Amino acid sequence: MNENRSGFRLAGIQTLELTQRSLQNEFRQWVVILPGLIFPLMMAAVYSSQFGRTLGLPGFPKVDSFLDFILPGSILQAVSFGATTAGTALALDIEDGFFDRLLVSPVSRVPILLGRLGGAAVIAAGKAVILILIFLACGARIRSGLGGVVVVILIAALLVLAIGGLAQSMAIKTGSQEAVGATFPLIFVTIFMSSAFFPTALMDGWYRALAENNPITWTVDPMRRLVIEGWSTTDVLQALGVPLLISVVTISLAIRSLQGMLKST
Amino acid sequence: MNLAALEIKHSRQVAAAICMRGMRRIKSRPVLIVPTIVMPVVLVISFTGAFSSLTRIEGYGTSNIYNWMAPYGALQGAVFAGLGSVGSSADDLERGFFDRLLLTPGSRFPLLVGTVGYSACRALIPTTAVFLFSLTLGMTVPGGLLGVISLYIATSFLSVVFCLIGLVILYKLKTQRSLMIMQVIAFGALFISVGQVPQSFMEGWLKVAARYNPITNVLELSRQGFLGDVAWSTTWPGLLALTIMTLVSGALAWRGLKRLAP
Repeated sequence: MNENRSGFRLAGIQTLELTQRSLQNEFRQWVVILPGLIFPLMMAAVYSSQFGRTLGLPGFPKVDSFLDFILPGSILQAVSFGATTAGTALALDIEDGFFDRLLVSPVSRVPILLGRLGGAAVIAAGKAVILILIFLACGARIRSGLGGVVVVILIAALLVLAIGGLAQSMAIKTGSQEAVGATFPLIFVTIFMSSAFFPTALMDGWYRALAENNPITWTVDPMRRLVIEGWSTTDVLQALGVPLLISVVTISLAIRSLQGMLKST
Repeated sequence: MNLAALEIKHSRQVAAAICMRGMRRIKSRPVLIVPTIVMPVVLVISFTGAFSSLTRIEGYGTSNIYNWMAPYGALQGAVFAGLGSVGSSADDLERGFFDRLLLTPGSRFPLLVGTVGYSACRALIPTTAVFLFSLTLGMTVPGGLLGVISLYIATSFLSVVFCLIGLVILYKLKTQRSLMIMQVIAFGALFISVGQVPQSFMEGWLKVAARYNPITNVLELSRQGFLGDVAWSTTWPGLLALTIMTLVSGALAWRGLKRLAP
């Protein structure tokens, strides 16, 4: 029992240490973090300037501006950049041999993955804070107040774990930065096939059905209601619960991939 | 055969070998072809699906969303084909294969030409995929064969332009992760254009930026055959924009390569 407890404690300490290493790596190459902020901001600016006429279409939620509508989608977009970075960074560790060195050191296996994800989650939360501040400065309003802001930041951190787990699984399976990096556009498209940038009520046919059943829509819709309508405990639970559940699944996948790799070598 | 002619022949062989190596690399690592083919097709599905209601707004330019979005999707695919070839070069740089390439005698220029050629060939794949896919879903080509040729010219050359821009950044940063920066530049350049809506829908800064963005001219060149007849007045601004962008990015990439490997 005590051994188990001290094992968990040690794993926790190792995860924190590796999270710190991951953060140091990220900040050393801070230029690479910038696209994750610039791109969603640019997209929000473009969409706000080109989709003004759509606000009048029947089925569009009642919003003051397109900026309010797109805030959750922009945060999601920012997070997706960092999430793939968690995978490419792990692939780099595999390519340059640092991963092998970690494996021969007395570090538990799981913290190797969680450390990278932890770093990505901290950066995702930071990005969410910066984006929210910029959106507020540009005239957006978050009707659920400070509580809503905190929830949105937590969702950002959870989303990066969900996507990052998948990217890590791919990094372990391919061991190639190029292959993991190449999946970024597909993540972008998955986000696009949801209500992140346009309401599902204005979509048609099978695409609408797909968007309505996309877990990203299940996260973004309640997140958006917190922004444009106000506080709702049901929305908070749904917006946090969906990415949490996906994180558990994808991180388990990554751990299984790691175990599979270790068995085969 | 004199020395100059021999050098030209050798340069051509090196460039062709690099181009062929890139194509073989795609064949040997199918995971790399997935985004090249699937991504632009899925982008077309995404844009047509998410924004199908735009055609309900007066002045959109077409009642068939595929005619508007397919050329845009093809250009996106071509741009990513260009960046994909930069990804291969980044891989070579990080793995040390680039150093071996530098051992080839003669000018460094064929290294650049080979990568660019690979990019142009790679761009044909997403363009064809998007074209055939959109045709099956209801896209029409009122501009006929000339419209299709305009699309292929636009995608191949734009792929070359973004390959060169990507190489400029890669030669400076020397890391695979610089691809992320290139993706933002590529997406940004395409977004601040008439990709999704016509200029008449835009307001404020975007309207001005899209007007002066050379990608707008390239998009109009590629899209003209899908909205109506092909016209010289729409063709030459696109060709001019492509020529200028190729020359400028080519000169910068060449300078970057010379600095990296004097």
